[in-house]
Amino acid sequence: MQGGSTGIGYGLKYQARCISDVKADTDHTSFLAGTLSLKEENEVHLLRLSSGGTELICEGLFSHPNEIWDLASCPFDQRIFSTVFSSGETYGAAVWQIPELYGQLSSPQLESVASLDGHTCKIRCVLWWPTGRHDKLVSVDEQNLFLWSLDTSKKTAQVQSQESAGMLHYLTGGAWDPHDSNSISLTCDSSVQFWDLRTMKKTNSIEHAHVRNVDYDMKKRYTLVTAEDESGIHIWDLRNLKFPVADLPGHPHWTWTVKCNPVYEGLILSAGTDSAVNLWLASSLGRNDSASDSLAAPPTRRIEPLLNSYNDYEDSVYGLAWSSREPWIFASLSYDGRCGLWREQKMSDFGFLVHRQKICVVEGPRGGHFNQERRVISCLTLFIEQWKTLRHVSAINDLDVKA
Amino acid sequence: MEVEEGGVPLDEKARRMRDLLSSFYSPDHSASAASLPRNTSSRFATLDTINTTAFDADQYMNLLVQKSNVEGLLQKHVEMAAEIKNLDTDLQMLVYENYNKFISATDTIKRMKNNIVGMETNMEQLLEKITSVQLRSDGVNTSLFERREHIEKLHRTRNLLRKVQFIYDLPTRLEKCIKSEAYAEAVKLYTGATPIFKAYGDSSFQDCKRASEEAVTIIIKKLQGKVFSDSESIQSRAEAVMLLKQLDFPVENLKVKLFEKLEQFLVDLNLESKELTRASIDASIREFAKAIRAYKVIFLHSEPQLSKLAQDLVKKHFEATHLRIMKQVYSGDLLAMLRLIWTDVLLMDEVLPEASLPDCALQYAHVAVRDYISSAFGRLLRYISDSLMTAQFTPKEGIEEEHSLQTALDAGKKAVTQGSTDALLDFRQLLDQETELLFRLRDLTIDWVQEGFRDFFKKLDGYFLLLSGKGNTTSEDVNLTEMPGDKIAAGLVLVLAQFSIFVEQIATLEYPRQELASFASGGGVRDYGHGSVLVPAEICPIFRTSGETFLHLYIKMRTQKISVLLKKRFTAPNWVKHKEPREVHMFVDMLLQEFKEIGTEVKQLLPQSLHHKHRRTNSNGSTASSRSSTLRDDKLSRSNIQKARSQLLESHLAKLFKQKMEIFTKLEHTQESVITTIVKLSLKSLQELVRLQTFNRSGFQQIQLDIHFLKATIKDIAEDEAAVDFLLDEVIVSTAERCLDPIPLEPPVLDRLVQAKLPKTSEQNPIS
Repeated sequence: MQGGSTGIGYGLKYQARCISDVKADTDHTSFLAGTLSLKEENEVHLLRLSSGGTELICEGLFSHPNEIWDLASCPFDQRIFSTVFSSGETYGAAVWQIPELYGQLSSPQLESVASLDGHTCKIRCVLWWPTGRHDKLVSVDEQNLFLWSLDTSKKTAQVQSQESAGMLHYLTGGAWDPHDSNSISLTCDSSVQFWDLRTMKKTNSIEHAHVRNVDYDMKKRYTLVTAEDESGIHIWDLRNLKFPVADLPGHPHWTWTVKCNPVYEGLILSAGTDSAVNLWLASSLGRNDSASDSLAAPPTRRIEPLLNSYNDYEDSVYGLAWSSREPWIFASLSYDGRCGLWREQKMSDFGFLVHRQKICVVEGPRGGHFNQERRVISCLTLFIEQWKTLRHVSAINDLDVKA
Repeated sequence: MEVEEGGVPLDEKARRMRDLLSSFYSPDHSASAASLPRNTSSRFATLDTINTTAFDADQYMNLLVQKSNVEGLLQKHVEMAAEIKNLDTDLQMLVYENYNKFISATDTIKRMKNNIVGMETNMEQLLEKITSVQLRSDGVNTSLFERREHIEKLHRTRNLLRKVQFIYDLPTRLEKCIKSEAYAEAVKLYTGATPIFKAYGDSSFQDCKRASEEAVTIIIKKLQGKVFSDSESIQSRAEAVMLLKQLDFPVENLKVKLFEKLEQFLVDLNLESKELTRASIDASIREFAKAIRAYKVIFLHSEPQLSKLAQDLVKKHFEATHLRIMKQVYSGDLLAMLRLIWTDVLLMDEVLPEASLPDCALQYAHVAVRDYISSAFGRLLRYISDSLMTAQFTPKEGIEEEHSLQTALDAGKKAVTQGSTDALLDFRQLLDQETELLFRLRDLTIDWVQEGFRDFFKKLDGYFLLLSGKGNTTSEDVNLTEMPGDKIAAGLVLVLAQFSIFVEQIATLEYPRQELASFASGGGVRDYGHGSVLVPAEICPIFRTSGETFLHLYIKMRTQKISVLLKKRFTAPNWVKHKEPREVHMFVDMLLQEFKEIGTEVKQLLPQSLHHKHRRTNSNGSTASSRSSTLRDDKLSRSNIQKARSQLLESHLAKLFKQKMEIFTKLEHTQESVITTIVKLSLKSLQELVRLQTFNRSGFQQIQLDIHFLKATIKDIAEDEAAVDFLLDEVIVSTAERCLDPIPLEPPVLDRLVQAKLPKTSEQNPIS
């Protein structure tokens, strides 16, 4: 709708936290984004990169009953995704199916595949089996871990097993190990826990880690990346959990989320509450234990791991997703509902990136991230978009555009 | 040559060779060989063939007739007739000359024949006479033969008898020699007799042999004694050894023994005991040198061994020195030691130039001086860290503890300045010495000291990082267990940060440079750029970065603690069912308390900002923020659902008119910067935490109240008013966004509650 046709930055109408890559869509680079609005009708946007690669087109807009706190796309069916939602005191998690009626944009209803009922406290996230068609699904609430068996054709979901992490541990999220599908890592208040899904027992943990987000390296086994409570990003070897293998500075304020590139090893994206997205290259740190090695090694010798920093955000960035189809593209979602798609062009030398180019943004002077003029333009365009929408949806016509 | 070649079977190549050669050597052959082709060709050729051997008259005639006209032929005819006449006269002349020669030759032959006939009779007479002479001489020879044989036999017997006599006299002669100590002669005699003893010793001369051997053993003993006695002159000792060698005595044993004695001497030479005065060492070394000299003269070709021995001595010296360096020694002592060693070495060098002792000593001195320098720097490092740490970790209470940060920093600063000055002065002493040993090492020493300084600062930095790394983990532990002790660690990090800055400053500043400059010019041998002495270009960035790292770490540790506090506040209550706000929540007090603590820590250590006015204008005019806040208030007061719908839009609009607030400005090493950064980070955390909750009206009002109170109080703490205001507003806006029913408290009520709280805190403050 508005973003795609005019070829400018895509704006969700409301505040938003989550964006997910539609992994099962092998023909297009698509993303799903969910809004987080307390008082309005929330929406799920299906975004698709146009064939020219210069526009982000809204392929579908679906209304969602509650504000979306977590959204994950099904790895084997592009029409299925899961959300975690809550409104006030109510909370829930569900698996949805996008209806067949494409092109009809007036907020068609999502078809509910299954509702993941049974949680007794606030749900944190839903995790899909990492790759391929599988019926397993994990949902995490503040204290419990649920393993579901999902049947998409019969539209049922049954609890296979359930285990409490203990009253003292407030779980905050998790990630499913793509290399060992029996293993799952959960973040809680002061540690990262590793669970075996067969026995539903905790197998290992990283203690004294205040972790906000975890992600597994898709390419390298036993590698886990964590976003620590205060700034830093740590990279762990799962075989030795005493000390992190490497350290990245992270963000000045909280590092909210980390995402490992699905193809390139050591390429890590992080988004933070300092309204920035940083791209890191961790492999250049090498295997040596840089934490303890720093005594001997002069600090000048280290290679700067920060490849790029994207600062064009007005608010904290919570949503981040690599495209699995085109692994040099990623989408980011800031709290103000602005979705940015970035492309890292491949560099022949290192197999990595040099040329950075933001696509689907305001056409204007490039460079100078805090260019006042550009900011005004971007805000105005956003304003006009939203104004248009508002005029369509409700009957407010008295807003002065020229203001 | 041709014969030779004819003998061997001719192959193709040889034949060709021969043809070539013969064509060269014999003109006939070549003429015949060459004329054949020329004959064939001459038909067409010239008239010149007349002079060659292969001249064909008819042909010539034909050619002539063909080529010339009548006149030419006539002329040719006249020419040829003249030539023929000439040739005829020449031929006649030749015949006459040859005939004369032939006649004279026949005459000579005739004369020779006559002379030879007379000689033959003379020769026959001569032969007769010679044969008679020969006969006579044979007769004489045979008559004298017998006698001559006899005489020769007698002569041989006499020689033999003389030898036997000598053998029998040998023992007595040897005795005599022993008595007169003429060992050399005795040895000479004995060695003369040994072949005979070897041949006949077992049979005829048994007694004689025994007796003389006894005498020889005595001689050997005496000689040995002579060799070992130090009182004998070196010359005589050397001779004795020579004699012993001639007597087939195993001299090597002797050599080994004597060498062992020398070694023993070396072992006994106790350099480490301090009672040994310089003089006594000197004396013993002198003695040793003498012994070495003797040994060298006595045993030729013993230099390698002796060199080794001497080098061992030097090594031992330096080992002792090394031990003392390890124990901590000042350059004065080191100098004394080195000087002593050098004199010893010179002494030894006189005796034993082969050992190249000075070089050896120089090498060891290298090591020693380097050791000394590194140990000095090591001590300096320890000293500094101790002075930083002791003040830190001694448990003190209350206000004292706060002061301890200051004292620790001061102690550290003093340690680094004082320590490095001392070290420099110490090293200068090394350079000022005129001892050759050190003089040679001067350049290297300068290098080492410079290098040492570099390493020292690097190590210091590494040590700090290690320390802070530890501090980091411990503080995390502390956070978990909620112990109040983490303050020390955080404070220490701040101390380290400040200390790093200090080091960076002194590295660039005048004082150490001055010292080092004089140091380098004191060396003066090479032209060192003084800039390279401490290499500020190298050291400074290291300390600058680590200073920043520490400061960031400090802020991180502090904000972490605050964010734990805030997190508790926001996760604990059920905000959807929050009750009406009655008073400002106590977490605000705790927050302010934290800020105050940080403030006291920071104020002890960090300097004040020099330009805060500038900084205020730097991030934003307060007018803009006030405008935006009025806009917000305006917005908040509306409860219209439709207006709330456009809330986001309005906040965008608001942002449009405001410059983007730079919350995360660059950190500086000033009180204000650090505190403001911490406050800003904390407020940002607050905002983020608010966004994760959903509030009811009362919850929103509670937050509004808390923030309102904070706004009033936090101004005293933080500098960047605009940014702080902005953040506080952001918190309220975020809360409103997350509120189901965002109706703010009426300003009078707000003021009343804040006013009720304010005196309380002002009461509390003086008490605490």
